[in-house]
Order: sequence, then C-alpha cells, then structure tokens
Amino acid sequence: MSAIEETVEVRVPVHTAYNQWTQFADFPRFMSSVREVEQVKPNLTRWVVGAGPLRGRFQAEIVEQRPDAYLAWRSTGRRHAHSGEVCFRPAETDRSTVTVRMRMHSPGAAHRLAAASGLLRGTVRRELGRFKEFIEAVGEESGAWRGSIGDGRVQPEEPEPPRSRVPHWPVG
Amino acid sequence: MHKPPEDEPEERLSVTPPEEWAAGVPAVAHAIEYSLRQTSPRRAGRTLLTMNQVDGVDCPGCAWADPSPGHRHRNEYCENGAKHINDEATSRRITADFFRRHPVSELARRSDLWLNQQGRLTEPMVKRPDSDHYEPVSWHEALGLIAAELTSLDSPDEAVFYTSGRVSNEAAFVLQLFARAFGTNNLPDCSNMCHESSGFALHETLGTGKGTVTLHDLHHADLIFLVGQNPGTNHPRQLSALEEAKRNGARIVAVNPLPEAGLLRFKNPQQPSGVLGRGIRIADRFLQIRTGGDLALFQGLNRLLVEAEDAAPGTVLDQDFIDSHTSGFEDFSRHVREIGWDDIRSATGLAREEIEAVRDEVLRSRRVIVCWAMGVTQHKHGVPTIREIVNFLLLRGNLGRAGSGACPVRGHSNVQGDRTMGIWEQMPDAFLDALRQEFGFEPPRAHGLDSVDSIKAMRDGRIKLFLGVAGNFVRAAPDTAVTEEAMRRCRLTAHISTKLNRSHAVCGRTALILPTLGRTERDVQSGGEQFVTVENSMSEVHTSRGRLRPASTLLLSEVAILCRLARTTLGDDPGIPWQQFEADYGTLRERISRVVPGLHEFNRRVIRPGGIRLPNPVNEGVFRTSAGKALFSRNAWQMPLAPEGHLLLQTLRSHDQWNTIPYTADDRYRGIRGSRQVVLVNPEDVAGLGLTAGQRVDLVSVWANAEERRAADFEVVPYPSARGCAAAYYPETNVLVPLDSVAEGSNQPTSKALVVRLEPTGAAADRSEEARA
Repeated sequence: MSAIEETVEVRVPVHTAYNQWTQFADFPRFMSSVREVEQVKPNLTRWVVGAGPLRGRFQAEIVEQRPDAYLAWRSTGRRHAHSGEVCFRPAETDRSTVTVRMRMHSPGAAHRLAAASGLLRGTVRRELGRFKEFIEAVGEESGAWRGSIGDGRVQPEEPEPPRSRVPHWPVG
Repeated sequence: MHKPPEDEPEERLSVTPPEEWAAGVPAVAHAIEYSLRQTSPRRAGRTLLTMNQVDGVDCPGCAWADPSPGHRHRNEYCENGAKHINDEATSRRITADFFRRHPVSELARRSDLWLNQQGRLTEPMVKRPDSDHYEPVSWHEALGLIAAELTSLDSPDEAVFYTSGRVSNEAAFVLQLFARAFGTNNLPDCSNMCHESSGFALHETLGTGKGTVTLHDLHHADLIFLVGQNPGTNHPRQLSALEEAKRNGARIVAVNPLPEAGLLRFKNPQQPSGVLGRGIRIADRFLQIRTGGDLALFQGLNRLLVEAEDAAPGTVLDQDFIDSHTSGFEDFSRHVREIGWDDIRSATGLAREEIEAVRDEVLRSRRVIVCWAMGVTQHKHGVPTIREIVNFLLLRGNLGRAGSGACPVRGHSNVQGDRTMGIWEQMPDAFLDALRQEFGFEPPRAHGLDSVDSIKAMRDGRIKLFLGVAGNFVRAAPDTAVTEEAMRRCRLTAHISTKLNRSHAVCGRTALILPTLGRTERDVQSGGEQFVTVENSMSEVHTSRGRLRPASTLLLSEVAILCRLARTTLGDDPGIPWQQFEADYGTLRERISRVVPGLHEFNRRVIRPGGIRLPNPVNEGVFRTSAGKALFSRNAWQMPLAPEGHLLLQTLRSHDQWNTIPYTADDRYRGIRGSRQVVLVNPEDVAGLGLTAGQRVDLVSVWANAEERRAADFEVVPYPSARGCAAAYYPETNVLVPLDSVAEGSNQPTSKALVVRLEPTGAAADRSEEARA
C-alpha cells in the first residue's frame, strides 16, 4: 500500500473551491486523465480514467463529506482499489488550499509500478494544478452540492430537501 | 416468416431433467428463431439493434434498468426481450376477414397461444349487443359508442379504467386525467396484481414506494439476496448485473422453492466464457425454502443478528444508524427474540445451520442488497415479509449507503412510471390539488377501485363499463371464472390493444377493440414525430422511440385514442387542450412537469442521454414516514399450512412466456416441452400422495367455507421443488386463486401458497356417477 499527498493553493475563496470540487461531472473539462464521471447518487460516483489508449473504470463511494472542509472516498470493487481524501482550508484573503491524499490498495503490478515510479504522484500534482488553473480563470463555481455525508450516508440539513421532493406514494 | 396457425398446435408432453444454467448460445438461437418466425430479418434486425439504446426503443419486456449511456452493448437485450419485441413487430396481421371467419364464441374457446399468434390488430372493431362477431367500425363511431355509454351512466364511478404496465408515461397521464375529469378514481392497474405489496410495505416503513438501488449499487454490493424471483426467465438482463457483481467479489444467496436455472449459473452469450466456457456461478448459497417461508427466514436471520450483537456488543448492528434514523427497534428486537426455531424450521423447511451460514455471510458484508419479486409479494403475508426484509436491511444500516438497499424487481416495463403519473385509485390530496391547479377542474377525492375490487364491482353489477389500456385483464386477474363472469356482465368493454387476447373474447354486451401503435413503431402526429417516456425499476425516466412502419395506417397511438375519447366524452375544454396534447406530446410533458414532483423541466431533462434519474428520498437521508424515520416493525405470521393430502401451490411463468402470453408450449430451463397443462411436484410428494409421473390430475384449491375451485386435467411431473410445494403455470391456474384471497394491506391476489389437492382426473365425475347410481 502506498500513500501520496499533494497540496495546492488556489486564488479563490474556500467555498468556491469546494463547490467546484463537488461538480464531479465537470472534472473531464480540466483534468486530462479523467475521461468521464457520472454522479450516480450523492454518495456514489462512476469514473473512467485513462491516458492515451488506456482506460480504467472504477466506482467511488463518498464516505464523508463536509461543506467547505472535507471529502473522503473509497473505490468499490476489486480493480483499481484505492481510497482518498480532500481537505479544503481557507488561506489568506480569498484564497484557499486544497490537499489530496490517496492510497492505492490494488495489488496489481501496474499500480505498484505507477506508485513506485512517482507516476501517480505526478499525475495528482498535475491534475491539482489544472484544477487551480480552471477555477482561478473562471473565478466562480459551475454548481454546488452543499449536503453532508457521514458514514457513507447523506445527512439531510432540512426535513425535506428539494431533491427528495419526488413521488413517494406506493408503487405496485 | 411463418404463417399464423389455423389450428391449435397439437404436441405431446416431453420431460427432461431441468437445466442447471441459463442463457448461453441456445438463448441467442431461440431468440433469433422466434423473431424470424414472426417477421423478416430486416425488421427483426431493426428492432433488436435499437432496443434499449439511448435513442432507441425501450424493451417492453421488463423494467430492468439499462447501463449508463456509452456503456451499453450493441446488443443490449436478452432472449425474452428479443422474443417479446418481435412478437410485437410481427409481420402477421389480423383483418376484418379474420373476425368474419371466427365468431367471438369460438375465440373464447381458443388458447392464449393461438390468439396471440394471429398477429397484429389493424382496424377498430365492434361487437354489437346480441352479435357473435366483431365487425369493422370507424374510430369516430367507436369512440362515440364509449362516450355515449359513459355519459349515460348514473355515476362516473360506474366505469373503470385499467392500465397495464406497458403504457407510456404520456398515455398514463392522459388516462388518469380523463378519468378524473370525468369524475372517478377507478384506476386499477396491473401492479395491483404484482408488486402492490412492495409499494405498500416500503411506503409504510421507509416513506418511499420505490426501490432504493441503482444498477451501479448492484455491481458493487458485497452480498445480494435473490428472494422469490427467477431472473433467468423474467429479468434475464439482471444476470449480467449479477455477473459483474460477482466479478467484483459479491456473494449471492438465492432463496426459492425451485432450483431455477438462472439462479444457479449464467453463461453470458456476449462473453467468450459464456459461449465456450462454463459461465459464472450465480448463487453461492441456494436456500430451497418452502413456499411462503420467507418471512420466517428473515425473522430467523434477524434473530441471529440481534443475538450476535448481544454476544459481541458494538460489532454487529449499526447502532448509530439505528439510534439516529430509525424507530421501533426495541419492540422489534423483543419480538424476534421470541420466534422459535421449531416454527422457523417448519415454515421454511430449512435447517438452522443453513440460516446461520447466511448470517455469517451477512456479517462479512458491508454492503447488502435484497432483490425480490412475486415469490414474495403474492402471499397473504407479502406485506409483512417485505417489512421484515426492511428490518433486516435496517439492522446493519444497509439503506442509504452506496452498494446497499431494497430492490423490488418489477416486471412490466413502465409499471413504475404509470404509478408516478397518478394511475392509482388512492392518489394523495397533494397530487389532486396539483391537477386542479393545473387544469382547473375539481378531481374526485373519494378513493376508487383497485383490480380486485373492480372485479367484485363488475360481478355485482356496480360497474357497467370497462376500458383497458394494454394488457389482458381477463387472464391476468385471479379467480378466472368469477372474473370472466364479471366482464360479461358489463354493458360495454373496450380494449386498447396491439394484439388479440382473451380479454377481447370474454367481453361485455358491446365490445370494442381499439388497435394501437406498438412501442417499436413510428409515432407521427400533426405536431411531428413523437417519442414517449418510461420509468424503469430503478427510477430512471427516459425516452423510447419506435422506428418501424406501423402495422396499419388505421392505428392510432394510445395518447391519440385517449385524447380523442376524452374530447368526445367531455367536449372541448379550454383548461384541457386534448387536441394539442395529441398533436405534440411535449405539451403534455410540460403539464406533467408542473403536476408530478421531481419531473420539473421534464422536456429538457428527459432528452439527455440516459434521461432523468429520480432521486430516492432514502438515499438523501430522508424517511417520509409518519415518524420521520425508518420504521422497524414487528410482524406476526401464520405458517401457510397444507392439511394432510394437500400441497402448497405457486403459479409461475414458463421461459417461453411473457406475462399472460405463452409463445410456445415449451419451458426449456425446466425441461418441460409440448404442454403447459403440468403440475410440478417433488418426487417424494408424488409417491406420498399415491400418484405416478405422467398421471392426469385435477388441481382443486381449497378455500374458506370449503369453497373449491378446479383446474382440470394436468399431468404430474416429478420435479426437484421443495417438499410439500408444487408449481403450475399462470394464467392457466389463475382459476384456483380465490378473489377474496388477498395479501393483507395491499389487496394483492395471492397467487402463491394456494392449498390444493391433486385429484385423479375423472375421479370427481366417477364419484357423482356413483352418487347418482
């Protein structure tokens, strides 16, 4: 198992950085190794990553999420097994820092090689840099999900949040 | 393409050992063979290659969800979907000449198979009072006849409007709008007969009527239960999802009285290992349970989990979740501790060790999903069984987390969407208020009739008019003799249908056949080419577009028929622009977006690839129950008991069958060919009852007050079903299901655990001969 940690300072307020980070489907716009992200549910995302002709697919369960502060995920399934967390901290006026920590759990040779050669660390560093470029250039987030997740479960802030206003009568 | 059969096919029963795997190359071969018997290679290819594709036609065969856009196979369908869609796309046609040659009384003697094989209906037909023939009628006159009958009723509540789950969201919305504008909530639907128990129990305990999982949850669950369902025949695409789950390390526990092939092993014909290899094992554990023992099984399992927590506090149950999100745990846990192992053993037929082994599987699993279907819902105690499944999921916090949850597996492709659109006899006031606000009329508030109560009302002469949109109500309903008598008492029955079925032959004094476009066909209206929308079992609302030339130029779409009927009956109404709705379904969806919560911006969002995924409140951490929390429940049960000399019978479908329609007389996986008049009985029961293989018997169901119902002349087939439990095909044995035998709470007919005895055919006649002598 190997761990990496990378931090970047971004010239936007912490809530802007955080809000943009919750828009996973936007990631392929600025991260070159992320090809597709689908937010299945608030706590479940499906990823296609790759370089050149190579593709990797995994699902990630979001196990903890606190607005403007923290997000932790772990992949589900056997392939590309990993977990990670992102910490958001306010810095001096209208700036913030974003720290990504990742651990690979996959026993595969390719993953060991990627970790050992620093490839993974380099990728995370470059992608964080692209996030910084994007959000600083745009200046505001493309959307936001302000909910919280604890122990893998959405914690509603109000009794009936807008997203749960759907037909709830019995279905036969 | 083969011609439709002139005569009933004559075949003899042949029996071989049941298969131990499903799908593989034979599935592909059978799908192609059946498709090419129905239509040309070109048409068959066109339907198959657009099936379940993002911009294609939604398979009407089942409600299983599709993979995400961009991740679908080129051939995204199963054997039974292929058979079903080409059964609709058939090149065979029924014309007026057919009805001249076949009087209604003759059609009523024909088999379901023969009727279906005749092909597509092509023009509106009427059977006038005192006539024994259908004859052509113009649309104008046909709809005028219905409208005149409707307006002559003493009360709008003397009409019922039945929906089958093939009906699109748009047509379902128009139907309920018409019924309510006309003045009644009599909106029975097919879900009254399949998953009503699921909706009732989930709504009561979790505050949602729908399942909580997506395909992605299934792919990454650690442990999946398949309870009372037969995916190999009824939801074959589920097998692909289970295959992926297993590749990701999932374990599967199957619970069923019959060792169905699809529960045991799957050979995916789209994978080399499925074509050349042994495929993948589905069930790691198969619990051959007695029919109706599922409630006792889950209570036993729940008792074991509660006791495991006692032995190692803080390690088994998700106490944080139970404390913060649920209510009623204490009462529930007291109750399950009192359940005796002897009772569990006799209800389930399972050894305690088998249930303990499942407990160990549960303890090793962080993410658990329970899937179930009609083997659970169609019992007298279907509702408490599902409540107990919810208890099981709540204990370890398996709700709201990724990879876990409740998965009722629905059959009809849009049965869930039709309910979302308001097809329900008990819609809440908030929905009716939204209708009033949007359309400017006061909808009736008194609850209407569901399927069982509609039959009773027709039987008693309180319903005079029956309009069915799709489906085959007469064959889907229980207590066949009573249902048929009830239909015949109606002054007028009308069916909006694609193909001929028994509901056209067993009809009211005046009867109408209103032929409609199939899903596979282009739907062109004055506002341009239209698409419809449907909602699958996992709450994804998406488009469906047909590509084929319609079977006849005289066909109208379901939306068009209903809009025209509404206009003919109610007249022009500035508040409800029926003509505009017919011309452009987008204008209808615009209105739906303001009435049905969650479908805001319906038109814009539904055309995105994959459509709209309706969130489930449980996955948002919201439980819209009376207490605002998920509810544990205590569920009392009575073991289904068969007296000496009797068996518990379940009705089931064959592999070559879609709902009430058999495609052939074969049931490949179970090794039954050539006849559907069979009863599958455990070999020891066959011997114990003094019967022999191949013997002809009548199935006699026993109900309260010694009422008896008889299904005559079935062949006994020894079969590895659970001891004391027999099985026979639906709809042939619906005659055995008493109308009054319903699931508690949901009023769903109990097509499982019927108490029957097997009488040698002719014995009853012999006895009455003797009595006369």
